[in-house]
Amino acid sequence: MTVSIKPLHPLFVGEVSGTHITQPLDRDVVATIEAGMDRYAILVFRDQRVTDEQQLAFSRNFGELEVTRGTGISKPGELRLDPAFADVSNLDTNNLPLARDNRRRLYSLGNRLWHSDSSFKAVPATYSLLSGRIVADKGGETEFADMRAAYDALDAATRASIEDLVCEHSLQYSREQLGFDLTPEERATMRPVRQRLVRAHPVTARKSLYLASHIGTIIGWPMPEARAFIRDLTEHATQPQFVYTHAWRPWDLVMWDNRQVMHRVRRYDESKPRDMRRTTVAGTTVTVAQAA
Amino acid sequence: MNIRQVHPVFVGEVSDIDITQPLTREQAAAIEAGMDRYAVLAFRDQALTDEQQLEFSRNFGELEVTLAGQMAKPEDRRLGDRLELGDISNLTARNAIRERDDRSRMYALANRLWHSDASFRAIGAGYTLLHGRVIPGKGGNTEFADMRAAYDALDDGTKAEIEDLVCEHSIVFSREQIGFADYAPGNEDRLRPVRHRLVITHPVTGRKSLYLSSHIGGIVGWPVPEARAFIRDLTEHATQRQFVYSHAWRVGDLVMWDNRTVMHRARRFDDLKEVRDLRRTSIKGTGLEVAQAKAA
Repeated sequence: MTVSIKPLHPLFVGEVSGTHITQPLDRDVVATIEAGMDRYAILVFRDQRVTDEQQLAFSRNFGELEVTRGTGISKPGELRLDPAFADVSNLDTNNLPLARDNRRRLYSLGNRLWHSDSSFKAVPATYSLLSGRIVADKGGETEFADMRAAYDALDAATRASIEDLVCEHSLQYSREQLGFDLTPEERATMRPVRQRLVRAHPVTARKSLYLASHIGTIIGWPMPEARAFIRDLTEHATQPQFVYTHAWRPWDLVMWDNRQVMHRVRRYDESKPRDMRRTTVAGTTVTVAQAA
Repeated sequence: MNIRQVHPVFVGEVSDIDITQPLTREQAAAIEAGMDRYAVLAFRDQALTDEQQLEFSRNFGELEVTLAGQMAKPEDRRLGDRLELGDISNLTARNAIRERDDRSRMYALANRLWHSDASFRAIGAGYTLLHGRVIPGKGGNTEFADMRAAYDALDDGTKAEIEDLVCEHSIVFSREQIGFADYAPGNEDRLRPVRHRLVITHPVTGRKSLYLSSHIGGIVGWPVPEARAFIRDLTEHATQRQFVYSHAWRVGDLVMWDNRTVMHRARRFDDLKEVRDLRRTSIKGTGLEVAQAKAA
């Protein structure tokens, strides 16, 4: 069977057929998928009934995996999944939906803001792989925005003015926007890191906007001016023509390149289970030197 | 007087009237009827003095004082002690362009977020009138979004869900979003949240609209992060392109809008190099009294 990729959007996103990612992959299939990621930034695999082990094995084809970072939001014993997974469900360890005022639930509402996974780490993630195990009947879509196309659509003066800007990213900034109260201990795990605002893809060399709700300021700018500007850029970058909406079917696996896209989840009825499991491929380099 | 609609869902451009002169009762009524219909009216080439702007504005009700004026030290007020005249400029009391770190500049940057004027007061503003005196060469547009059309476009499930929701508004919430929290002591009463219904009905037309604003920080009875995520979604819905008019300013424009039926925001311009000087008056709102109580 040959692997083929069909575009799902005028700018990006491909649907892959001809492979079962539950099985170990040949080197050339992995290379085809990587080339597809370079081109489409997002790949959709349908009907992939992966176990956790299989998702881990598939993900490791693309590099070392991140381990979920300890922010202290989830206490020991509250983890439903192996620490190599980000648990993007609304479920507790008994697989029951979290209560409305559950702190972990309120924290996870930050995922409804446009972001790039792990931009708050000095060495940020490359790919995220999200497996839909139980999906919402209504709502709960994941939206993606193409940060390469968004960059290309900027006028030349704006491109020149942002070329060398460096932003500070932290989980505390995205959570603060929703009024989530962090404890001093939690905040201490969220020291801001620096990322270039414009980054070039290591393979294709295409430039993209490295935006995220985790951004709190721009180095050298007054904070309110930086935030107003980042909001304007984010609005530009998430215009309908740059956005693909993924309506989940059970056993979809969607992988995206955090260096090239932002994403967010849409609202759904959280009284019903939604079980999504994410693995994340660790990057290997910083985008800019960190503060001493 | 003639009104020509300049956007598919709202906004009229008014011609054949000189608003520097006292209005007849009929003229004022025609403008009010235009406001009920178009929600935003633009008058071109009106060389108003401050006095004339105040006079014109008083045709439509009682003027309110601006919060920024109330909170500023007297020596920092460029337009003197008339607090009904809002200074929407990037100038200091000495008419110099404000420095990058200037505190008033930081405060005013939140005007780049979608808002409804004075929604942080128990009685929010009705009309706001903004007159262009000095306009930058590039940027600095004011954008308006029609909250009636935005409401109408919601699906029935959402309309039913939000019908009786009550939001908390404060100037603190909008400023917090851009990282500003530098208020002088003595302003506690002005910063305390007030409550407004999310869906309001226009007292004259009976049309419903979304009473949204960046000043919203919570929904009564909802966890704060859930409320804010939802308000962001609603705001994004309500400010989609088809509901938005962008006003490119010319010197002498007077634009008036109804804060009960539209949101607005300022767009970026090169405010460290160019001057933008607009003067604002606003009218106390009526019809916003329902279900309001000072937040505990």
